[in-house]
Amino acid sequence: MARKFLPYFYILPLLAFIAVFTYIPIATSINLSFREWDFMSATKPFVGLENYQLLLTSTEFWNSVKITAIFAIISVPLRLALALMAASFLTSEKFAPRMLRGAFFLPSVTSTVSIAVVFSWVFSTDYGVANALLKHIGVGKIPWMQDPQLALLVLILVNTWKQIGYDIVIYIAGLQAIPQELYDAAAVDGGRRFHVFRRVTMPLVMPTTYFLLVISVIEAFQVFTIVNVMTHGGPASATDMLVNMLYRVGFTLFDIGTGSALAVLLFILLIALSLIKSRVIGRKVHYEA
Amino acid sequence: MKLENPVQSLFALLFGLLFLSPALYSIWLSFQTADAYYAGGLEFTVDNYGRAVGQYHFARYLLNSVIVSGIVTVGGISIATLAAYAFARFRFRGGDLLFGAVVATLMIPSHISLIPNYLTLAKVGLLDSYAGLILPAMASAFATFFLRQYIRGIPRSLDEAAYMDGATSLQVLWRVIVPLSRPAILSMALFIFIGEWNSYIWPLVAIGKDDLYTLQVGLARLYRINPGEGVIDWPLVMAASTISILPVLLGFALVERHLVRGITMGAVK
Amino acid sequence: MTRNFIKLAGASLIALVGSAHISMAATTVTFWHSFNPEKPNGQALEKIIDNFEAANPGVEIKPEFIGNYNDIVAKLQAAIPAHREPDAVIMEVTRYGLFADRGVLTDLTDYVNNDPLKEDLFGFAREVGVFEGKNYIVPFNSSTPVLYYNKGIFERAGFTEEPALKTYDDLLKVSKQITEKLGDDGITGIVAPGQFARWGLVMDNDSDLIDSKTGEILLDSDNTIEAYQWMASLVHEHHVASPDGVTDEKKGGRDAFLSGKVGIMMNSTGNYVRSKKALGDDLGVLPMPCNKVCSVPIGGAGIGILSTAEQDVKDAAYKFISFAASAESNAIWFSGTGYMPINKHTAEQDLAKDALAGKPGIDVAINQLDFARGRPRPPVVTWMRASEYGLWEAMALGQRDVKDVLSEFATKTREEAARLAK
Repeated sequence: MARKFLPYFYILPLLAFIAVFTYIPIATSINLSFREWDFMSATKPFVGLENYQLLLTSTEFWNSVKITAIFAIISVPLRLALALMAASFLTSEKFAPRMLRGAFFLPSVTSTVSIAVVFSWVFSTDYGVANALLKHIGVGKIPWMQDPQLALLVLILVNTWKQIGYDIVIYIAGLQAIPQELYDAAAVDGGRRFHVFRRVTMPLVMPTTYFLLVISVIEAFQVFTIVNVMTHGGPASATDMLVNMLYRVGFTLFDIGTGSALAVLLFILLIALSLIKSRVIGRKVHYEA
Repeated sequence: MKLENPVQSLFALLFGLLFLSPALYSIWLSFQTADAYYAGGLEFTVDNYGRAVGQYHFARYLLNSVIVSGIVTVGGISIATLAAYAFARFRFRGGDLLFGAVVATLMIPSHISLIPNYLTLAKVGLLDSYAGLILPAMASAFATFFLRQYIRGIPRSLDEAAYMDGATSLQVLWRVIVPLSRPAILSMALFIFIGEWNSYIWPLVAIGKDDLYTLQVGLARLYRINPGEGVIDWPLVMAASTISILPVLLGFALVERHLVRGITMGAVK
Repeated sequence: MTRNFIKLAGASLIALVGSAHISMAATTVTFWHSFNPEKPNGQALEKIIDNFEAANPGVEIKPEFIGNYNDIVAKLQAAIPAHREPDAVIMEVTRYGLFADRGVLTDLTDYVNNDPLKEDLFGFAREVGVFEGKNYIVPFNSSTPVLYYNKGIFERAGFTEEPALKTYDDLLKVSKQITEKLGDDGITGIVAPGQFARWGLVMDNDSDLIDSKTGEILLDSDNTIEAYQWMASLVHEHHVASPDGVTDEKKGGRDAFLSGKVGIMMNSTGNYVRSKKALGDDLGVLPMPCNKVCSVPIGGAGIGILSTAEQDVKDAAYKFISFAASAESNAIWFSGTGYMPINKHTAEQDLAKDALAGKPGIDVAINQLDFARGRPRPPVVTWMRASEYGLWEAMALGQRDVKDVLSEFATKTREEAARLAK
């Protein structure tokens, strides 16, 4: 009977797209990572683990890992701390907090390229707003995007500005799920605001924090657009994050083998992070039940 | 219900404006002339928009973005809804496994498909075409997952009643499930749209022709090429940037609620 | 009703096919280039294309501005598996070897040998198109780097007469004085040298990046290291060159000079007309310095034809290439951009005569030809130049030691050369 096959028809389009554009490419990438190719040669000779070996012994790769890790280590706690702080003020459904939530949330759905371009201007040495403001308080021109440390910091700030609204929304959902009685009980105990925050809020939003922590670490490992638009990985490779390196090796140096090896390593790393995430979500579901 | 505190509201308003000030100031800048700006003066014009749209093809880029994001949204949400319906309502051999395969893609970073997808579409000659932008974006595992959860929350008795009336399974989907899942479908459609509107790395590699650039690629290129002599023409670049955030900006107040709902449900479920 | 509609549709279809057929009678040559249509160089190119199309009604040139030479290389390489390469392409003179080697470019030797143009081209210009004994590109825009300076800035910095700018020390001294005197007005002494100028400055120091005769990699030779150390010191040690020009050669470097914010810029003579337009009488032009020896690289680009083009398109493309190198076209190009004449008869053209008489400094590059050198173009140069940008940033911004960087870079370049030769 045809009915038996119906569900297969319904899922067929989705599975076809997923197979062609997600699963088969993983196999292709793994295959290419063992080969040498520059898009031009007719053959793609098999070179075994050479690409991985080259990658794992290159300063470039470890620089990228380091930069990406620094980005994550600074940006993730910054985002979470600011977001939790903001969220704890904004849980009520009154007009003012709702409006402010909207303002925080807006950048997270706005075009990253636009944001990157706008901040390139804000931090440009000669005509940027940042230096114009600093001039008023007597600080000289700072070459934001030309200084390796500052450039990375600027990228972190821009990324925080863009993403924090998302974190706030999630935190608010987490905070609103905390039963009011717990606050009341803490207040009866004579707890001050900070005390309540530390003893009640912090522990109870811990699952949300875990969730955001892992999500934002995963995101940090996939940052590309702001790097590509604002710094191209420079100055002096100071912002050459992993995906930027992947793009650079693949689509400007055309070392397809090494690029694919890098993609495979990134893939393994992110899968590992995602598995941690699933366990965390598992914990959260458990907690809520 | 307490009355709103006007001082708090004012404070919130100011803080919100301060937070958004880089973006707001960029829009302000887009209405100034470059000459006056660099000389430290202030002079207003809409000429930057004229040049962005005319000389620098931003009208075309806007059209491309609308077409691509529009088709991806309609196609993506249809495919996801259909699959979600099957996964939520039918028991079939391999169903759980296949659903697992769909959900697993949520963990897979899209960058691993960058080079292979480039080669696949190159092989079939679809780079430099709308199809080349649209096809790889058609499967939304997240929307499928989200909608399946949502549909499972709809009482089965409603389906049964419709079947009793002689409806086919597609009619059940269309007459019962879709109307009842409307908020969830709307949220997911918005996510797909925004994601596609803002996507960058794929259009960057897949499109090499000026008349097929999306807004994001066009804007990045305009900034990089630096038209005009000497220093960057920031007012022009900001006009182009404003064009590329405009739809989201205009629609934001209307859809924020749906977006927030989508995000929080996705995170908690 | 329906029938009428079908008829109408049919008629329009026939009309469409018919018109398509007519437009197909003309051969279309897609052409990737590196000259911004809004700048003088792009406009000069447009003029040459218009003239060509007027003289050859059967051929349509479809120019596409891609970006700089590096962008073209990247885009071309990416285009190959996608089969979306153009029919003709501008390729920088040291970076086309890879594409010739891989069979991407058509061997033009027969075309050139049967073309009277061959005798009209200067030797230095013809040479740039030859790779391993075969002709792959025909010169279009030839250049050497020159030293531009801003007379107004020099005066305000207290130079009553033109200071000597022969050695590294001279350049540093002048740059320091400018930065000290005018730094508060946001003016710096010198533009951090771009890649072409860096190569030139290495040659001035009696070295090279890669030996022009033997092809030996010289990135870690003492004089190369010394040259890079000096160039990097301009930025991170003496602060006479803005780091903006390091992270963005174009926006932070050249464009800053064009907007009158820098005293000295070493760059291709192809920037002459643009600079003249921007700075007017303030523009001064001098030969490149001669620190240890006088030696400048010959740069610029030529036009090649893609192997994938159809035969009739190749023929049409070559017609255009030959036309673009003719004395008439070359005079338009020379006078409109500042690139050097490549055709022996260019100087006889009125446009060229006027330029030589009325545009002081446009001849500096030509006069440098006595000590100009062509550069080798083995496949590895493409990789070497693409990789050099990031390393230069690290050196110029004082992030890494010059000697370490160059030793490592030399080793990697040798490895890459060996890999490419496999």
